[in-house]
Amino acid sequence: MPRITRAEVHRVARLARLSLSDAEADRMTTDLDHILEYVETLQDLDTEGIEPTAHAIPLKTPMRSDRATPGLDPALAVRNAPEALETAFVVPKVIEGEEEG
Amino acid sequence: MSGSPLSRFEMVIGLEVHAQLRTESKLFSSAKVSFGDAPNHNVEPVCLALPGVLPVLNRRAVECAILAGLATHCTVHTRSVFARKHYFYPDLPKGYQISQFELPIATGGWIDIQVGADAEAVTKRIGLTRIHMEEDAGKSIHDDAVAGSDATLVDLNRAGVPLVEIVSEPDLRSPAEAGAYLRTLRSILRYIDVSDADMEKGNFRCDANVSLRPIGREEFGTRTELKNLNSFRFVEAAILAEARRQASILADGGEIQQATMAYDAATDRTRVLRLKEDAHDYRYFPDPDLIPLEIGAGEIEEFRRALPELADEKCLRFQAQYGLSEYDALQLSEDRALGDYFEAAVENHGAAKTVANWMLRDVLKALGELEVEIGDSKLTPEAFARLLELVDSGTITAKSGQGLVSDLVRAGGDPTALVSERGLEAVSDAGVLAAAVDEVLAEYPENIEKFRAGETKVLNFLMGQVMRRTQGKADPNAVRELLAERLEG
Amino acid sequence: MPSPLGTLAELRSALDAGTTSSQELVAQALERAEALKGGLNCFMGLRADAAREEALAADARRKRGEVRSRVDGVPVAIKDNMVQTGEPTTCASRILTGFVSPYTSTAVQRLVDAGAVVIGRTNMDEFAMGSSTEHSAIGPCHNPWDPTRTAGGSSGGSAAAVAAGIVPFALGSDTGGSIRQPASLCGVTGIKPTYGRVSRWGLVAFASSLDQIGVLARTAEDCASVLEIISGHDPRDSTSIPEPAPVYRDALERGIEDIVIGLPREYFAPEGADPAVLATVCAAVEELERAGARTREITLPHTRYGIATYYLIADAEASSNLARYDGVRYGLRARGTVGLTEMYERTRSEGFGDEVKRRIVLGTYVLSAGYYDAYYRKAQQVRTLLRGDFEQAFHGCDVIATPTAPEVAFRLGEKTADPLSMYLSDVYTVSASLAGIPGLSLPCGFHDGMPIGLQLLGPAMGEAAPLRVAAAYQRSTAHHENRAPETV
Repeated sequence: MPRITRAEVHRVARLARLSLSDAEADRMTTDLDHILEYVETLQDLDTEGIEPTAHAIPLKTPMRSDRATPGLDPALAVRNAPEALETAFVVPKVIEGEEEG
Repeated sequence: MSGSPLSRFEMVIGLEVHAQLRTESKLFSSAKVSFGDAPNHNVEPVCLALPGVLPVLNRRAVECAILAGLATHCTVHTRSVFARKHYFYPDLPKGYQISQFELPIATGGWIDIQVGADAEAVTKRIGLTRIHMEEDAGKSIHDDAVAGSDATLVDLNRAGVPLVEIVSEPDLRSPAEAGAYLRTLRSILRYIDVSDADMEKGNFRCDANVSLRPIGREEFGTRTELKNLNSFRFVEAAILAEARRQASILADGGEIQQATMAYDAATDRTRVLRLKEDAHDYRYFPDPDLIPLEIGAGEIEEFRRALPELADEKCLRFQAQYGLSEYDALQLSEDRALGDYFEAAVENHGAAKTVANWMLRDVLKALGELEVEIGDSKLTPEAFARLLELVDSGTITAKSGQGLVSDLVRAGGDPTALVSERGLEAVSDAGVLAAAVDEVLAEYPENIEKFRAGETKVLNFLMGQVMRRTQGKADPNAVRELLAERLEG
Repeated sequence: MPSPLGTLAELRSALDAGTTSSQELVAQALERAEALKGGLNCFMGLRADAAREEALAADARRKRGEVRSRVDGVPVAIKDNMVQTGEPTTCASRILTGFVSPYTSTAVQRLVDAGAVVIGRTNMDEFAMGSSTEHSAIGPCHNPWDPTRTAGGSSGGSAAAVAAGIVPFALGSDTGGSIRQPASLCGVTGIKPTYGRVSRWGLVAFASSLDQIGVLARTAEDCASVLEIISGHDPRDSTSIPEPAPVYRDALERGIEDIVIGLPREYFAPEGADPAVLATVCAAVEELERAGARTREITLPHTRYGIATYYLIADAEASSNLARYDGVRYGLRARGTVGLTEMYERTRSEGFGDEVKRRIVLGTYVLSAGYYDAYYRKAQQVRTLLRGDFEQAFHGCDVIATPTAPEVAFRLGEKTADPLSMYLSDVYTVSASLAGIPGLSLPCGFHDGMPIGLQLLGPAMGEAAPLRVAAAYQRSTAHHENRAPETV
C-alpha cells in the first residue's frame, strides 16, 4: 500500500512551485515512499501530553527598540536582480486565471 | 429596490481589518516605515529576503498590538506564537508571511457601535474573534505603460511593515452596521495612537465576509469574501451589491459558491475574482527563527492602566459631566483631539452646550471645507472661547461670529481684534435699526398686508432682509421687536 | 606544490616569532589550494587578490604591534553558505548563480575583525543537504585520504581543506552532523557548539532550529580558539544565546580525572556500525580512562527515532526556508517562460538539484494540511523526548562518547542512488542537533587507511567539557597529527 501516490507528489510539487517530469516524479514517489515508511516508526511512540519542542534551548523573547536605520542603497538592493527597472524588480505578470499561492 | 429578493433574507457580515501600526521601523527589521518613496528605497537585507537573514521583533509593534487588544476588551495573552504562512507571490519575498496562527496575541473582545441616527440610535455590541500581528507584503505595480503589458514591477518598501489583523465575529447585519463598526474601530485605533487608520492612505484595509440566511434561520449560509475595498463608502456599497447578488441566486433556488469577490464601483456590482474550491494550504507552522512571545501579566496590567480614556467612556462622561445629548457627545468624543479641544474650550468659556453647538455646527464645517484636522486648526480653544463670549455679550451677533470661524481656523488671530478690524460690532443703536427696518418695510409693503392678514411667517423674510441690510450685525432680538411693533401697527 | 600548513597554534607562534609572515602563509594556502583543485575539488572559488591585500595589511599591523587576536593574519576557508559583502555565495547551488551579498555574516565578520584572512569558499552539499558533498553544483569533493571516497558532508569542502593542509582551520555548518561527520571522515577535529552559541545571521538557512556554525581544525585547542572569536550574543539573531562568548582555552590544560564519560549502549550496538569503527572508538575511550576519566554505561532510549525525527523537522523547515529562491530578486531566473507561475516552476526546477527537490517535496508534504499533526508536530514531540534523554543522561555524566559515523568514508556514488541509506549515516550525530547540545569529533584511529572519529557530546551551554576531554586525548595520542598522503 503506497504511502504516497504520484498524483500526490505532483500536487505537493505544485505547492512548492516545482515542476517534475514524469520520470522525476516516479523516482521521487519511490524515494518518498521509502522515507515515509521509515518515519512511520514515530507512530510507535506514545507522545500523549508531550509538548512539541519550540526551541531546543529555552530563551526569553528578544525584542529591539523601534529605531529606523538607513536602508540599503537602492541600486544595491536590485543589483542581483535578474531583471530590474531602475530600482524596482521586474517579474512576469500573473496570467489571468493563475492561482495566487 | 423594494420587494426585492433581498428582503427575504438577513445579511450576516464579518469584517477583517488590517491596520498598519504607527512605528518608525518595520516589524522584524529596522528598515524605515515610510510612504510614497521611490521603489526599494526603504529596504534592508531582511526586507529583500536575502539568503541568511533573520527577523527580530519590534518592541513598539508589540506594545501597539497589546493596546489594540486592551482597547477592544480582548484577552491579551501572555504567550503567543509567530507562525509562517506560505504562498508564492512576487510581493512576498520570503515565500511566506510571518503572522500568528494558532496562538494570536489577543482574542475574544468586543466594541460597541451606534446604529441608526439621532433619536433612533441604538447601541449594538460587535464581538471580536481575534487580533494578531503580522507583517505587510510589498507592492506589485501593474503599469503597462511603465513595465510593458506582460510584466509587473515589485516594490518592497512596504514589505515587513507591522500590521494588526482584527477579525470580527459575524455579528454585523447591514452595510450601515459595517460602516459604523469600521468608523468606531478607526476611532479607537487613532485614540490609542496605534494606527493612523486612514483608508485612503492604505493603512486601514478591510475585507468583508458576506452571507445570507432566510429570516428566522439560525444556520449561516455560505459566505463569500470581498476584497480590495478602498473606502468606507465602497465597503457599504459592496456589501449591499454582494448581498443582492446572493439573494438573487438564492431566490432562484441556486447555491452560493465560496469565492473571493471584487467590487466594481462603476457598475455597482460584485464579481468573482476566484472560486475557493480548495482552501489555500498555507502550511502554517511556528516560525523557528522567533521565540514565542511572552508578556508578563503584570506588564499587561500596566498597559491597561496606561490606556487613555476611550471614546465610549468619554461619550458617557460628556453626557454626564456636561449635560450634552447622546448624539452631540458621540460626535465630540469620536475623535480624541476633538474631544480634548472641546474640553479645553469649555474650561475657558464655561457653557458646554454653547461650545458644543458651535463646534459641531461651525468649527467642523470649517475644518471640512479647509480639509484639515482639529489639530491643524489655528483657532485655539482659548480664542474660540473668546469668540463665543463676544457673541454671548452681544458685542457681535451670532451670525457675525459664525462668519469669523472659518478665517480664524485657517489663519488664527485674536477674535476681538478681528471684530474691530472688520467693524463687526453688533448694531443695537435704536436709531440705526429703526432706519433699517423702515427701509425694508418701504421696499416690501405688500408684506405688511400679508402679516396683518395672518401670514406671520413673512416676519422671518423681513428679518432676513434687515439682517442683510445691516451685514448681519443687527441684534436679531431688537430687530424682531421693532418689526413686530411696526407690523402690528 | 607548497607544503601543508601547520596548526593554528603553530602558525601563530611562527608569526609571533617572525619566522613567517601573513603574506607567506596566505600565498602558501592559495598555491596549495590551486594545486589541489583538480584532485580534491574542495573550493567553490578563491578570493586571491583580496586575500593578498588583507595579508599585507595584517603584516603591517603586526609590524606596528597591533596584533588583534590569535587568528590575525592567518588564512581561513569558509563554507559557501555564509555570506560576505562583495563575495559570491552559492551554497553549491545553481539557483544562487551570480548572487553577490551586500552584507556579511556575523561569524565571518568576527573572524575578519580579528584579522583572519578568508582565502575562499569551500564546496558543500547543496544548501547543506547531504552527508557526502556529492550533491554539489560543481561536483563532489574528494577525500584527501583517498580521492575515490567522499569527504563526508555537508561541510566536506571545509573538512578536506583542513585535512589537506590548505588552511589551518575552516568554518563549517552543522545541522544534523555536517561538521562532525566530515571531520570524522577526513581525520580532523570539528565542533558544533550549543544551538544559539554562534549567530546564524548571514548563515544561509537550511533548518532554522538545527543549524549552527562551527569550526574544523587540526586540534581541539585550535577549535576552541576560533570558537571564542565567533561565539557570543548577536542581537540580529533572535535565537542567539544572550551571553558573551565563553573563554574555552583556559580550561583546556586541566586534566580529566574529574570527568565521567557516559557511553550510551544504543550507540555501541554491534549491528549499528562497522566493527572496526566500534573497536577503534572503544580503544579511544580506554585511552581516556588511562588519562584519568571514569566511564559508565548510560542509555539514550529514544536514539532509534532520531533519524526520522530529524528528517521530518529539518526538511519541513528547509522547504520553508527555500521558498525565497524564486528568481525574483536574485540568483537564477529561467528564461523563455510565459507568466509568473511558469517562471517560478522552471526557475526552481532548473536551479535546485535532485536531493534538494526531494527534501522540499517531503518537507512541503509534512507541513501540508492533513499531515502536519501526524508528521511535523509528532516529530517535535519526539524531539522533546530526545532532549529529555540527554538531560537525564547528563545528570550522571559530564560528557558522552560515541562513534561519530558508523563507517569510514564511503566511496563516491555508493549511497547516492538510495537517499535513505545516505540519511542513515547520520545516525550518531542527529540526536545532538535535535537536542541543541554541543558535539565535537576528533580523530581516534584508522581502518583501511581511512580516519575514524570519536564524538564527544556535552550538555547544553557546555562546550568546555568535550573540548577539555578532546584536548587531553590529543595530548596523549597522535592520531590528529597524521597527515593525508601528498599523492593527491
